[in-house]
Amino acid sequence: MTTEAPGRAQVLSTEQHGDFETKLMRINVGPVHPATHGVLRLVIDMDGERIVRLKPRIGYLHTGFEKTMENRTWQQVVTYTNRMDYAHSMGHDLAYVLAAEKLLDARVPERAQRVRVLLTELNRIASHLIFLGTGLLDMGALTPFFYTMRERETIFDILEMVTGVRMNYGYFRVGGLSKDLPDGFEEAVQAFIDDFPSKLDQYQALYAKNDIWLNRVKGAGVISRETALEHALTGPSARASGVNLDFRKAKPYSGYEDYDFDVPVREEGDAHARLTMRVLEMEQSLRIVQQALNRLEPGPIRDPDRRISLPPRHELETSMEAVIFHFKLVTEGFHPPKGEVYVPTESARGELGYYLVSDGGSMPYRVKVRTPSLPNLQSLEPMCIDGMFADMIVNIATVDPVMGDVDK
Amino acid sequence: MSAPTGAPSVAETIATELVERMQGQRSERFDQTHVTLPAARIREAVRHARAGGLEHLSDVMGIDWLEYPGHQGPRFTVVYNLYSLRDASRLMLRVNVDEDQPVPSITPQWTGAGFFEREVYDLFGIEFEGHPDLRKLVTPDDLDGHPLRKDFPLGETPTLFGDGRFLDPASFRAGMMGQDRGRTGWVGGARKGVRSEQGKGEGGEA
Repeated sequence: MTTEAPGRAQVLSTEQHGDFETKLMRINVGPVHPATHGVLRLVIDMDGERIVRLKPRIGYLHTGFEKTMENRTWQQVVTYTNRMDYAHSMGHDLAYVLAAEKLLDARVPERAQRVRVLLTELNRIASHLIFLGTGLLDMGALTPFFYTMRERETIFDILEMVTGVRMNYGYFRVGGLSKDLPDGFEEAVQAFIDDFPSKLDQYQALYAKNDIWLNRVKGAGVISRETALEHALTGPSARASGVNLDFRKAKPYSGYEDYDFDVPVREEGDAHARLTMRVLEMEQSLRIVQQALNRLEPGPIRDPDRRISLPPRHELETSMEAVIFHFKLVTEGFHPPKGEVYVPTESARGELGYYLVSDGGSMPYRVKVRTPSLPNLQSLEPMCIDGMFADMIVNIATVDPVMGDVDK
Repeated sequence: MSAPTGAPSVAETIATELVERMQGQRSERFDQTHVTLPAARIREAVRHARAGGLEHLSDVMGIDWLEYPGHQGPRFTVVYNLYSLRDASRLMLRVNVDEDQPVPSITPQWTGAGFFEREVYDLFGIEFEGHPDLRKLVTPDDLDGHPLRKDFPLGETPTLFGDGRFLDPASFRAGMMGQDRGRTGWVGGARKGVRSEQGKGEGGEA
């Protein structure tokens, strides 16, 4: 995790330029620092205000999720998936259940798929709202933070209505959903959809045409397409650099191929492009939410296969078989066939996929989570090198790492 | 985004070439193509794949086969997960290695592998030869061992129950796997193929 001297500035080398003497200095930022969005520590070598070397030190939030998942049944894993990226929990839940369903060859009913897409996209908007609010906060714009958090609360109210909790939902199940949508859900979502575009305009009015802000972010932390691919950068940050990769389009899952939406791509690759990218994505997510809402039709929400889903409660009183299936599922869960699967999805931060290895047992043999934030953090170095120290803060904000997602 | 019908995908083409030129062995796992390569050829293979259009490195990960039922061969597998932006095809390259056997690092030629390989090194103890900065990534410096190895103890807190029964997690788990259950009195359970014998042991109420 860490091998270097604790947080004290060190003089690394001294250079003589005529009468003028410059010193290379090593400083620590974090792990507890308001601009690092969690517990990220950066060891930075500076030549005056210029950054010459930057190394992220991570692991302060390492919880061993992968090891824990190997010792839980396939269904129980859903409890852990959403705790990694706590800003976009639904994305993690979706990525896991998709991979497990591929192993099991489960058939997820239409309604469950629509609801999954709807909630994942709502959660994506909530995640981008945190990004926008805290990102601008790091640059000194205090007001947008309160506004974005207000709209995030509206989304959380809807998600709480459905799942019972405000974060760490664990609402999806392998084979479907845990329960059906509550009454009043559709009206609440529709009200949000009608209201949100005007709120987006409101935020934009606060910063988008502000000269001070534009000077601050335009041309800061530029990363080219080649460098982005070299450092395995994905997600909105990569699309801001011209990497046209969105798994919702490239490898549609959960019926994303049926929705009409665009994938915004920018070529500039600077902090401004990365920031505006999220705003554009929120608009597209809103379109998907509207379409999913329009297509919501009553129907089953779980795969009827008894080997995967619990039988309906009323059957337990009349059917012996239902009792047996219920008992087997509750005590040890299902046994997917042996094999390995990887299903890529597009989380709010980039490529998110679960690589599952099954040994035919009731617990996963190996769960590898390809979280987007870990490789994205590698791109921080090329973004910051030769830039100013103050731009580094902007770059962290626009790469949008969630430390739970980085450390697992 | 998909390839024109009839033409083989990028991953398909490269898989065929790797099998022909670099002693690769091809396997299909759930409609995903994997190519197993000798450890010494991995750098060359990744360079070839990247030049051929698999330009996005999704992941490098490790698997420990120690407890996999019926597994034969080296203990670890390192999987390189490559993706083509051109036609959305994916290819997994695999390298099988034994304990204490290093794998050539691909980080010098692909910077993005840096964190991935450090993570595998940290959690599995697989060394990557030629990695410019091979140090632990996520676990603390004072932690011995590699947590994702199957023989790494889980280390939950041992629990004392009201009736004086002392439940220590390691023996509990051993019991679940059909091995010596210690004093926990639990045998059998969740793993497939392990017959449940709960309550039949000595000290159990039966």
